[in-house]
Amino acid sequence: MSSLDTALDRVLTAPGISGAMLLDAVTGLTYAESGEVSGGRDSCEIAEIARTRLNRAGASGELESVVVTTSTRHLVTLQLARRGDPLLLCATVDRERTNLTWALRELHRHADELLA
Amino acid sequence: MTQSGTEEPLADSRNVPALLSALRDRARSCTVLVTGTPGGSIHVRDGLVVAMETPGAPGIEGLLLRSGRISEEAWSAVRASDTTHEHLAAELVARGLVGAGELEVISLGALFDAAFALSLAVPDSWEVADPVPALHRNAGVTPERLLDEVSRRINLLAGEPGSVAALARTRVRSVSAAGLPGTAAGLPARHQEVLAHADGRGTARDIAFALGRGLFAVMMDLRHLLDRGLVQPHLPSAENRPSTAARGAPSAPLAGASAAPRSVPLPRREPGRNSAPELRPHD
Repeated sequence: MSSLDTALDRVLTAPGISGAMLLDAVTGLTYAESGEVSGGRDSCEIAEIARTRLNRAGASGELESVVVTTSTRHLVTLQLARRGDPLLLCATVDRERTNLTWALRELHRHADELLA
Repeated sequence: MTQSGTEEPLADSRNVPALLSALRDRARSCTVLVTGTPGGSIHVRDGLVVAMETPGAPGIEGLLLRSGRISEEAWSAVRASDTTHEHLAAELVARGLVGAGELEVISLGALFDAAFALSLAVPDSWEVADPVPALHRNAGVTPERLLDEVSRRINLLAGEPGSVAALARTRVRSVSAAGLPGTAAGLPARHQEVLAHADGRGTARDIAFALGRGLFAVMMDLRHLLDRGLVQPHLPSAENRPSTAARGAPSAPLAGASAAPRSVPLPRREPGRNSAPELRPHD
């Protein structure tokens, strides 16, 4: 199993996170995925729209995260800065099993280990 | 089209994707040498594609070095420690020069980028050769996934038929307004870097190599900058274009044209006169 697959499997051990995938923020290439990720396919486009529109609206700074919430789940996208083009860590979060703050904390913790 | 190799010929290899599918069915380990422009090498292990190298897109080595992730000295030391070049990826990680996950991202990114670069031109020929060591760190990709990803990329860039290959060949330069204060201020840092390298002399490939980024990523950024009017195709002006006029003096002056200058024969080399030429008045 690849390093990325192993790292993403660890993300799924967090309660309420049912799927995770790692994407290239520029090309949209999927590097790895695990669990239920059907909602993450368009994360790259969603993040690009958020980034572009926020810049045009006058916001400064780099995009850090996008959270899309439905009645049952959150689709959380974290932008991971690195040397080179950034990556996106996308996760499907079950609203009945965890809360957003906890899920974000867990995702940030795993994100630090992802590329190590 | 040619095929060679130690095993029986692959019947279904009318094109490179079909060849890769046949190699996948047979779980072969080999190197597919593709000739053409740009041409390249496709490294197959147990039927899965693990690496591609082409002059059309930066490889793993270029991405590591040009982006500043590792130094030339560190890379030379890694290569010296593994003369067979079969364990370069493991050595990079073991020395702490790059994380295992990071190298996997770079390895996969370079693989798909090379596939995209190769897809922009029809190859002249290809042949199957024995496997050779190739720097990579990934479990391998099926030919079907490679093809799907290349199609997705072409669809993302295509504005009209043929436009993707044309964009890849186009030399671009920033428009003068892009340098005005505030114009590029809202752009992400990577767009500003591409803008700074759009000097009219380089194509997307040249910019990708200079920045240590993928060809497709740079083309995506260029398309964005083109759409915003911050770069434009660079068309060489007529006075800078190399002359295509006849080199010799015309045999007879055209009617109405001024008289041709007196024809002076080009200097000729003579046997036994291989020494440095005499100094000319303007030397």
